[in-house]
Amino acid sequence: MDQIGRSETLRIVLALRRLDRAAEVALWATDLSRDAPSLPTIRGLFAGAAWHEREAAELFGVEFVGGDHRRLLLSPAFVGTPLRKDEVLAARTGLSWPGAKEPGESDAGLGGASSGRRRMVPPGVPDPAVWGDRDPAAPTPEPTAVTDSLVAGRARKRR
Amino acid sequence: MSAAHGSIRLIESACTSCMICARECPTWCISIDSHTELVEDLPAGARDRTRNVLDRFAIDWSLCMYCGICVDECPFDALEWDRVPVPASQDLVEEMVAPDPEATPP
Amino acid sequence: MRWLDWYGDGSLYVVEVALACCTLEFGAAARSVSLAAAPGPKDRVAVVISGTVTDQLAPAAAAIVDACTQQVSARPTVIAFGACASSGGPYWDSYAVTKGIDQLVAVDVYVPGCPPTPDALAVVLDQLSGRVGG
Repeated sequence: MDQIGRSETLRIVLALRRLDRAAEVALWATDLSRDAPSLPTIRGLFAGAAWHEREAAELFGVEFVGGDHRRLLLSPAFVGTPLRKDEVLAARTGLSWPGAKEPGESDAGLGGASSGRRRMVPPGVPDPAVWGDRDPAAPTPEPTAVTDSLVAGRARKRR
Repeated sequence: MSAAHGSIRLIESACTSCMICARECPTWCISIDSHTELVEDLPAGARDRTRNVLDRFAIDWSLCMYCGICVDECPFDALEWDRVPVPASQDLVEEMVAPDPEATPP
Repeated sequence: MRWLDWYGDGSLYVVEVALACCTLEFGAAARSVSLAAAPGPKDRVAVVISGTVTDQLAPAAAAIVDACTQQVSARPTVIAFGACASSGGPYWDSYAVTKGIDQLVAVDVYVPGCPPTPDALAVVLDQLSGRVGG
């Protein structure tokens, strides 16, 4: 679980259940730094953990030392760690959102929406000033800057 | 046999082009074009007032997942469920209101 | 490959690429349809893609269409059944979903719905086989 916004960590939760007493669950949790998260593998103890570790590795970018490093679900060509909260949904940023138009506005530019209003940004897309339209010479945005701006509604001014 | 939730219909006279349905739709399947026009026949001394005129209202049925959020969200009840299902075709974009090719821009 | 003799008389063979929930509606439409031996040239074939097309499986779906083309020496009618097969549907913005099988394969008919009703498919196939005008 990506805890960005609360702390710069990934929380890994291990849930163990007894097969003969299914109602009982034991939970362990540990927080790993988002920068280089790494844990030793437990597939030696629980063979079934191998698939969960492979999934966490490819979707969150966690390294399991001694684990199986093959991909499980994503194709070998896929780049990125999609379940991290600062990963942007490319499809949403690429397509133009029908809701970005103001009432009284159309593609053909007939009639005026008041151009003084800031543009609406769809949910799941970071503020263009932070991620999309930013100055290319500026440094890459911090992950928290990206997630903080995923608020939809009118694009906010940078503080 | 048609389901009670076969498709979604626009009541054009109730639509104010507020864009709320287009914004709330999870699959971005609603497209709206509109423009503003000055309201005529105002009382003497009144300030200019504009109203929105709907030019185009289209639903891309290939994206619609029939969730009904647009029906629930419309503040003017301009969208409602219709029993008639959307037929299969080669192009599933339906323009319920299509731009008038003869319209002169204001 | 599972060839379904849709009307039981060899007039239309249907192959389903069953990917997700839409396949349950296909199953309801195909309730009383039986399997058949592979068709030959001059037989009419429809490929129905039902369900979400993921990036991983999209090439396999395209390969099935190719295999049908080989089998009857003619392009089958490709039917995108449901929103996901038509455009990616509710999962259009996913990192792992292809936005409709038409990204890889030419589609002849798009059936809207999430999921469409079994009747919706039956109507399309009736029209395709000439049983109903349209």
